[in-house]
Amino acid sequence: MKRTLSVLLMIACLTGFLFANGQKDSGAAKGATSIKLGIWPEDTLTGDIEMHKGYVKAFNEIYPDIKVIPAYYKYATDTYVPLAVSGKLPTIYETWFTEPQKIMKNGFARDITAELKELGWDKKMNESVRNLLSSDGKIYGVPRDAYALGLMINADLFKEAGLVDGDGLPLYPKTWDELAKTAVIIKEKTGAAGLCLLAKDNAGGWHFTNIAWGFGANFVVQKGNKWVGQLNSPESAAAFQYVSDLKWKYDVLTPNPTNEDWGTGFRAIGTGSAAMYIAAQDAVNQPTQVNGLPATSLAMAPVPAGPAGQFSLMGGTPYMFSKSATDEEVKAALKYLEIMGKAPVVSETGLAGLEADAKNRADEGIPVIPAFPAWTDKAYLKAQQDAIDAYINVDMRMFDSYYEKVSEESNLRTEEPVETQALYAELTKVLQSVMVDENADIPALLEMAQKNYQRILDDTVNK
Amino acid sequence: MTDTIRHRAAKVFRRNGAGWLLMLPGIILFGFFAWVPLLESIRLSLYNVQGITLQDFAGLSHYVSVFRHPDFVAAVRNTFSYTLWSLVIGFPVPIIMALIISELRRGKSLFKVGIYLPNIVPGMAMVLMFSFIFIPGETGVLNIIRDRLGAEPFGWLTNPKWTIPLIVMALTWKGAGATALLYIAGLQTIDSQLYDAAIIDGAGIGRRIFHVTLPGLYNLMRILLILQVISVFQILYEPLVMTNGGPNNASLSLMQLMFRYAFTDYNYSLASAVSVIICLMLIILTVLYMKMNKEQDA
Repeated sequence: MKRTLSVLLMIACLTGFLFANGQKDSGAAKGATSIKLGIWPEDTLTGDIEMHKGYVKAFNEIYPDIKVIPAYYKYATDTYVPLAVSGKLPTIYETWFTEPQKIMKNGFARDITAELKELGWDKKMNESVRNLLSSDGKIYGVPRDAYALGLMINADLFKEAGLVDGDGLPLYPKTWDELAKTAVIIKEKTGAAGLCLLAKDNAGGWHFTNIAWGFGANFVVQKGNKWVGQLNSPESAAAFQYVSDLKWKYDVLTPNPTNEDWGTGFRAIGTGSAAMYIAAQDAVNQPTQVNGLPATSLAMAPVPAGPAGQFSLMGGTPYMFSKSATDEEVKAALKYLEIMGKAPVVSETGLAGLEADAKNRADEGIPVIPAFPAWTDKAYLKAQQDAIDAYINVDMRMFDSYYEKVSEESNLRTEEPVETQALYAELTKVLQSVMVDENADIPALLEMAQKNYQRILDDTVNK
Repeated sequence: MTDTIRHRAAKVFRRNGAGWLLMLPGIILFGFFAWVPLLESIRLSLYNVQGITLQDFAGLSHYVSVFRHPDFVAAVRNTFSYTLWSLVIGFPVPIIMALIISELRRGKSLFKVGIYLPNIVPGMAMVLMFSFIFIPGETGVLNIIRDRLGAEPFGWLTNPKWTIPLIVMALTWKGAGATALLYIAGLQTIDSQLYDAAIIDGAGIGRRIFHVTLPGLYNLMRILLILQVISVFQILYEPLVMTNGGPNNASLSLMQLMFRYAFTDYNYSLASAVSVIICLMLIILTVLYMKMNKEQDA
């Protein structure tokens, strides 16, 4: 009896175990379109959430039968693939500017060419940005913002070091040589580092390409139908010598560049442990909102010029779409972007969206400054400018030089075209060697990096 | 005929059925979470994939790609270096701790709790704490101490020669206490008559340790050694957070190479190939070790 009972109990346990998680989520009623917004703000950003609630209200007034489901998703490389493969990604989500090519290559991206064409947005997209979001002529994303790298400046430190003009505006360095001298003065007068240089991960290589372009380096070129790396050029050696000097001759960097990454750089600027940092205008919330610097203490200047000229690396932060999204859902998500004022459409709701965004930024202590145009539609750009004008909370003279330079088309360059992350990885390794060893043999390190990068090129794109 | 078979089956079921049923949930869980993924990753490493969907058979080409990757040699060299340093630094420390604590007359429990405490510090907190301690500028904890002593600041983790030993020291700080507890338990199983006999024979403390204590711990040491090799061989998050494998690959481990393939490149075939390579290396090391021990025992 006892035995039978235990067997029966065991079977009951087993069935319970097997079916414990078998409940399917019922989901929305069939027929009605619903969109899951991965671009919903995270719980702590209450101001942003209120703003989005306003967007949803405006959205539902126009499209009452489309249900909007907040589904905050912060893109992360360890959660992305499982979500993508299981079809659980939100309808629309934001990712990093480094990711689109990888996401497209792995077949996780939703082709939205048809939907964009229907709206005519494909023609209004900044061409370089469109190329970044396209593969084989198909478009897989829309830009949230475009960005162009510049020199982010903690104006308080400049003031403290006496590096200001008659109007109290920071006297920013125009060339890399001037940067070194400026940095020395800052370190002497304030004790803070002059520049925060990144060398922890691939962001180090990414920033370094922009520095090295100024010295005349071109890291990869196409010869015939082969891609050839040029990491070991004298120009790139000169650029490495320059950053080595920043560390060892002038000693103006933060204590350990090999432990600085994108986020710590903003912390350094925001908390005043460094005075200058290479960064883009779309991240002005990082030193201010995230790290507590008053909006009025932030300035932006163009990336300094090198002997071969001035360049600003540009790219775009994309919105992408779930592969399992239906045409209707993609269209609905695009409409939501329109309400946010992120689409190249001048409409009342879109303008209200832009204004709400500008107001929210002002409330949150983020500098309200013009976006870098990801769309080329003139009317939209004007509307965008008009919408923020009333909310500008900074002295635009602190940003003028940056916007002037990045409006010169010829100075803008996109990332190096092939195996970019591998290139950054190789450059970062050299940077690390240079940052930890005063006598690092730069030409030998570059020979090695070139050999490694070329091998990767030959194993992938040249195959 | 069929009757006897049925009869026999029924008998077997009566005897073992409940046992099997009892094990079934465990087997299913293990199968689902351990064995299937294990076999699946071998399969992944042999196929071209899109995302994680298998496309076509690729033979050993992914393994060739891994071997050809510029960072592979450095990763293998470093992984062995981690393991060796962990044997040099990490292996004797818990034994010494255990010996000292077991000799204490007072405050044994206090010290047992004390050495175990670092073990309950979350791994990430430990790693961040040591990052602060090892800051190479004037603001690093160790460099502040050096400054007080009148010495120049030192590079610590940024010095390629020191990176791995320092990471291993951090590992040991966290892990040694738990292992020491095992040794303390082991020490208690040694027959106290052996010590008495040794004392009567005139053995001092050193000889007692070498001739009674250590031989008494020998079997435990053997097991813990191979377990330590297996765990340190798979070191990942300490270098990932403290140095990200740098400077210039000086601390890149095989696991981190796998991590990069999987999570920065989304290249799961290559990531699986690396993990299979790690697994094979560990199997070889373990088999060699077992064989050596067997010969010694014989």
